[in-house]
Amino acid sequence: MKLSRNLALSCEILAAQKLRTLLSVTGIVVGVGAVVLIVSAGRGAEKKILDRIRDMGTNLIVVNAGQTRIIAGRQRQIATVTTLKADDAEAIARQCPSVALAAPAISKKLATRYESENANTNVVGMTPEGFHVRNIAIASGRSFDPEENRAQRRVAILGPTVVENLFDGADPTGLRIRIGRVPFEVVGVTAPKGMDANGVDQDDLIIVPLGTAMRRLFNVTHIQTIYVQARSAELLNTGEKEIRELLRQRHRLRDKPDDFTIQNQATLVDTERETTRSMTFLISSVAGISLVVGGIGILAVMLISVRERTGEIGLRRAVGARRSDIRTQFLLESGLLAAVGGLVGVLGGVGAALAVSMLGYWETVISWPAALIGFAFSVFVGIVFGIYPAIRAAALEPIEALRAE
Amino acid sequence: MIELKTIEKTYGSGDTATPVLKGISFRIQAGEYVALMGASGTGKSTLMNIVGCLDKPTGGQYQLDGADAGTLDDNALSHLRNQKIGFVFQQFHLLERTTALKNVMLPLIYSEPYPEDAEQRAEKALTAVGLNDRMYYRPGELSGGQQQRVAIARALITNPQIILADEPTGNLDSKSGLEILAIFKRLHRDGHTIIIVTHNEEVAEHADRVIVLKDGKIEQDRRVAQPRDAEKEVDERIGREDAE
Repeated sequence: MKLSRNLALSCEILAAQKLRTLLSVTGIVVGVGAVVLIVSAGRGAEKKILDRIRDMGTNLIVVNAGQTRIIAGRQRQIATVTTLKADDAEAIARQCPSVALAAPAISKKLATRYESENANTNVVGMTPEGFHVRNIAIASGRSFDPEENRAQRRVAILGPTVVENLFDGADPTGLRIRIGRVPFEVVGVTAPKGMDANGVDQDDLIIVPLGTAMRRLFNVTHIQTIYVQARSAELLNTGEKEIRELLRQRHRLRDKPDDFTIQNQATLVDTERETTRSMTFLISSVAGISLVVGGIGILAVMLISVRERTGEIGLRRAVGARRSDIRTQFLLESGLLAAVGGLVGVLGGVGAALAVSMLGYWETVISWPAALIGFAFSVFVGIVFGIYPAIRAAALEPIEALRAE
Repeated sequence: MIELKTIEKTYGSGDTATPVLKGISFRIQAGEYVALMGASGTGKSTLMNIVGCLDKPTGGQYQLDGADAGTLDDNALSHLRNQKIGFVFQQFHLLERTTALKNVMLPLIYSEPYPEDAEQRAEKALTAVGLNDRMYYRPGELSGGQQQRVAIARALITNPQIILADEPTGNLDSKSGLEILAIFKRLHRDGHTIIIVTHNEEVAEHADRVIVLKDGKIEQDRRVAQPRDAEKEVDERIGREDAE
């Protein structure tokens, strides 16, 4: 049997029944379209989160004092631990071969005031290296230098949100604000960074020299966090190990558990990626089920078709079609139906994903592998659900089939 | 060409067994024009299905062109139908959703190899039955007589030796029926073997030989001394209509 000739004829027959063909493939269209849209949306979400993680810094390792735990999606320190010191950061920078920079930091929410404007803001004390390690850029004014840090000068760099809250967006450089009761001179403003991976505004902060924060604001001798930059992305895990060893030794922990928590960007990226992927997989599996339901639609229509076209089957047998020719024909037809549905579904899904992106509801990244898999799966479903009708069609006795009309 | 030896066909088995054909033997030479007659229920359709390799006898032997049809499997029988037999049915059995041309080409889909000139052959076959101006019409747009002519063109496309027609004029008015019989007459003249199954005496008068079945047996097998010539009758009729 000339497959292509027969396929062309099948196309003509199916095309002549537009409404039925359309209805029979609706399930497939919706299923494939949904899979493509959801995976594209999931990949968009993944990209957004990964971008935010990358915004936190390059090759970043974060050491937090004490054990932390994720509570309501945010990393929280369970108890105040005072064992982490600024010296630890210096030691890490000096002694760990995989580490390029280490910046100690401490932060706390404090009331800040400019003239009559008040705001509660996250006040971060850190060393000048912190700007580099955490990818914080200065938009206007200047940063502070190691000398100012050592001298515990009262200089402050404001995040854009704070500028908005205290100064209504006007340039604050050179003006004086109060943090708690201590007066500070504003020397610069950071570039906006937006929200972090947890949805926290990263621009609502005031950065002051670490020494100033510890002595003049918080009155403590410990720090909370050390931001470490590894020499390369490949050294993130090695660096983490080196830091752990060093800190355990310095804190004389012996057989006690860690009094600090280390996270590196690579594992953070993996965790987040895994979370969004499993979410995407879960939802697209549900959409995949609708594909199977779509297959049942094709099954139903093909069964009706076999019954309705009994005479045609009889005729084809009379003019020389073998059983296998009839079987192939009906398999091809159901595969064809599913392929058309799959194609329309892919186009619809991609179109919907683009539209959602363009209208600004949700950033999407078109997933062509998902489109391809969705399409292939729909053809597979079409053929699988076409097997039974095709067998029924091929099993018809030619004379009975001819008599049926 | 066609040789039947004590062909039997029984439907069902045991107590419910219903014998339809009870030992039919005849021989049809290549180029004969035979009418197979009998009232309904006499087994003439069953006999035609056996001759057309659509059905297998439960007893006896059927030889077609030297091959024992009883020993052939389903695929081989399909091939025989494709190459040696052209069917014409009472209900035309055309595919409604495609053109006359595609309908005529259908048997070629199952021919190996698929001929390069399939479309030209179909055009030729349609021209031969006088439908050269209706090639791209769908069956629904054609009259009954025209549909039956499409079906004849389809039966001729693989150039089979035998044309098997089951009540080909049964659904047609007498004028269209006569035109169809005229085509059969011409095909017969061109050397085809024609077997027409009918219950209509008038139709049978066009054949050279009439085999009459009764109760699953041959009641009569006679030569027609002076067969009617449908071609001539059609010409005369046209002449009459022109005169009027």
